[in-house]
Amino acid sequence: MLVSGYYSWNWLEATHVLTLMISIGSLFIIDFRMLGWVLPGVSATAIADRLHKPMIIGFVIMFITGLLLVYAKPVENVQSLWFRIKMILLVLAFINAWVFNSRMRAADGTWDSARVAPKGLRTGAIISLSLWCGVVAMGRFIPYDWVDCPKVSNTALLWASGCVEQLNAL
Amino acid sequence: MLSNFLSNYRSVAGLIFVVLAVALVELFEVRASVYPSLLPFFEWLKYSSWIGYLGITFGSVYATVQAVHLISMAIIGGTVLVTDLRLLGVLLKDIPSETITKGTHQCFKYSLSVAIATGIFCAAGVADKVYYMPVFWIKMLALLVGSCFMFFIKQPLLNSRSHSEIDPWILRILAVASITIWFTVAATGRWIGFS
Repeated sequence: MLVSGYYSWNWLEATHVLTLMISIGSLFIIDFRMLGWVLPGVSATAIADRLHKPMIIGFVIMFITGLLLVYAKPVENVQSLWFRIKMILLVLAFINAWVFNSRMRAADGTWDSARVAPKGLRTGAIISLSLWCGVVAMGRFIPYDWVDCPKVSNTALLWASGCVEQLNAL
Repeated sequence: MLSNFLSNYRSVAGLIFVVLAVALVELFEVRASVYPSLLPFFEWLKYSSWIGYLGITFGSVYATVQAVHLISMAIIGGTVLVTDLRLLGVLLKDIPSETITKGTHQCFKYSLSVAIATGIFCAAGVADKVYYMPVFWIKMLALLVGSCFMFFIKQPLLNSRSHSEIDPWILRILAVASITIWFTVAATGRWIGFS
């Protein structure tokens, strides 16, 4: 029903993509602040604290719409190499966010008003930016069929994409 | 006296000029006559320009540029939301709105430049299709309105004086208008893919 309904699919996908502006938009502002690229005169922890809520709201909406998108086309997604890489990057991004948050809470507050955060937090911010750019790129690649199961003959790619039928036929 | 008046109300005079220009363009059916003459440009963009060639020939390059376009739109969204929700008194209430407005504008400008550059690349690859899509032209119009609004109305007004001297309703209207315009830009952009 989600796939066959023209508007239901479009609304779902559009909501998933547009929520990027809330979730990743807020997250990037926090990361940019750690690197001193935006709001350098403002307390870094204040920015992180105040943007935490909209960021989480954005991620929850993205998670729900993302689940529905996968539910609508389960085989295509599960057997997509891009989807699999996206999931790995998502897990890494959440681990990085958890480590980053713990480090920020543990650090003493002397750096808070400095133009850039300490090296550990800056590294965490760069890793976060890279991982989320990867997540967005992989999400964008999913509709393309370059490495879809019927088109691939390489065993490693078939294994990485979970193309069970093609692997059994080899 | 006239120059003094114009210097005080430069943004408003600019806005009135733009509205009058659009009205004249419609009145004399300039748009209707310009539109067909743009088709050769769009065809050239797809079939003869190097960006069109890259977009058609290398699907992975096209998809990567699309991803960069999405990321730049997300950053635009982040800066717009942070600034406008602060003006509405929803977020970052303990930080002066002047600081937020000035501190995010540079980032907004860079992101907008990247979004426009990557957007031209993306449009070039499907130029013969987007030319016929009403939603594409609505997006272009929204982008033009958003850019003019940001650079000729919102930023000049917010930088001209302390925000406490500006009527709170003006600040709220600015914020709501800004969120609406940039949401329209993003939503129509997404809808191009469905058309």
